[in-house]
Amino acid sequence: MASDHILKSYDEELSRLTKAITTMGGLAESQLAASIQAVVKRDSELAAEIVAQDVSVDQLDAEVEALAVRLLALRQPMARDLREIIAALKISSDLERICDYAANVAKRSIALNQAPVARPAYSIPRMAKLAQVQIKEVLDAYVHRDAEKARKVWLADEELDELYTSLFRELLTYMMEDPRSITAGTHLLFMAKNIERIGDHATNIAETIFYLVNGEPLAETRPKRDRSSSSVVLPGITGVIENELGEPKA
Amino acid sequence: MSPEHAMTQPPLAATGALSMNQQQHLGATTTALTEKISVRNLRFFYKKFEALKGINLPLYDKKVTAFIGPSGCGKSTLLRCLNRMYDLYPEQHAEGEIIVDGANILEPGVDINLLRAKIGMVFQKPTPFPMTIFDNIAFGIKLYEALPRADLEDRVEQALRRAALWDEVKDKLGQSGLGLSGGQQQRLCIARAIAVKPEILLLDEPCSALDPISTQRIEELIFELKSDYCIVIVTHSMQQAARSSDYTAFMYLGDLIEFNPTEIVFTNPKNKRTEDYITGRFG
Repeated sequence: MASDHILKSYDEELSRLTKAITTMGGLAESQLAASIQAVVKRDSELAAEIVAQDVSVDQLDAEVEALAVRLLALRQPMARDLREIIAALKISSDLERICDYAANVAKRSIALNQAPVARPAYSIPRMAKLAQVQIKEVLDAYVHRDAEKARKVWLADEELDELYTSLFRELLTYMMEDPRSITAGTHLLFMAKNIERIGDHATNIAETIFYLVNGEPLAETRPKRDRSSSSVVLPGITGVIENELGEPKA
Repeated sequence: MSPEHAMTQPPLAATGALSMNQQQHLGATTTALTEKISVRNLRFFYKKFEALKGINLPLYDKKVTAFIGPSGCGKSTLLRCLNRMYDLYPEQHAEGEIIVDGANILEPGVDINLLRAKIGMVFQKPTPFPMTIFDNIAFGIKLYEALPRADLEDRVEQALRRAALWDEVKDKLGQSGLGLSGGQQQRLCIARAIAVKPEILLLDEPCSALDPISTQRIEELIFELKSDYCIVIVTHSMQQAARSSDYTAFMYLGDLIEFNPTEIVFTNPKNKRTEDYITGRFG
């Protein structure tokens, strides 16, 4: 962070804000890790705990918002200080969403536990692992105000998108082969989507950090590999039909 | 767009300036800018002390430019150069050029009185003359023009209306200007300055002795007046600079550190010293 303010209390308030964000980030990491545990170990009790824990994330989000509003009103921040506060507000709501998605994975794992074990469930932890790395790296970038690291996280989301698209296809094929797997398959599909969304929020945070540090938005266009919205799996045809734009053929 | 407008390309501004495209992108300009005043390599001395160390700066017509910086940075000195206020003091002198409408006002032989009629100034403390409200305004007009009474009254009313003071004083024009509140006195001084139809208005911390409501009235007035004038304001209040100016110049120890659209200066300044100053980190 930049050198100190003449008013020490201003620095203290800003660092309280940063601390609250880091706490939220830690919670997001542990909530996601636990929700994957709940899926892997078919542990409904753990899943219920995760869902209950979501309240404390919401509380932290509200705290960050109150602190940010207070700083805006009382300090009239400018330049970097202003960006610190705007960034905290945005990152806080991204982290809150990440925790929501983690809680949703946990909730679905309870439903999944009622159904027989589905093979593609093993792909979920692999995807989640990537998302966890993304969150960890982006929080690191935040703590060190490291724009370059943030940019790397931002670029790495592509991998998660690819994994999601392939899992999407795998699940469609799986459900087609055995209609009894549709309940599990659908829950897994939503879980995968939740994890993919977590990755998107991590890239949002990365963008925010880049702006916070440089005062300018990340201007590049990000490669996107989530093709699930244009994927079609037809019986008897292996693979996916796509036209050049990645749109399904009519 | 008239050919006249098409030709007015502002020169590259000082430190860290943005290109015209960037400025337009940021919405700082919607029409072409005219450089009303060009300060070029301006140096200023109080005896041997060099208070301004080679300032280069454009001041645009129909825009408000704010000078900010810590005490002693030279912002008031720079303002005082713009109408040669310093001529009153024998041990002070300026070098370089201040081009106003194509002519260097620092040249000897410039008619100081005409210059000051063209460039009005308002000071930190309201300075009404010890005369009636009417005469406060009429005094300046009478110096430059001999008007029939009816026309003079008309001009006084116009000036007071323009300064958003008319409704408050129209029934007591014969009373002393000193009887007005601080905020009213300051608006009276602005009315007095604009009554002689200047083209440039210099405001030296015009609100530092005023309460917040009067301050906002003055700021509203600045906004109203900028459609007709080139306005330069020196202020210690960064919020005031942020609220009321289009361009901001940050000065430090006699140097111009950064000149940019106000929006840039207060959101993403290009110089670290500017950033430290506006965020309250100045050591």
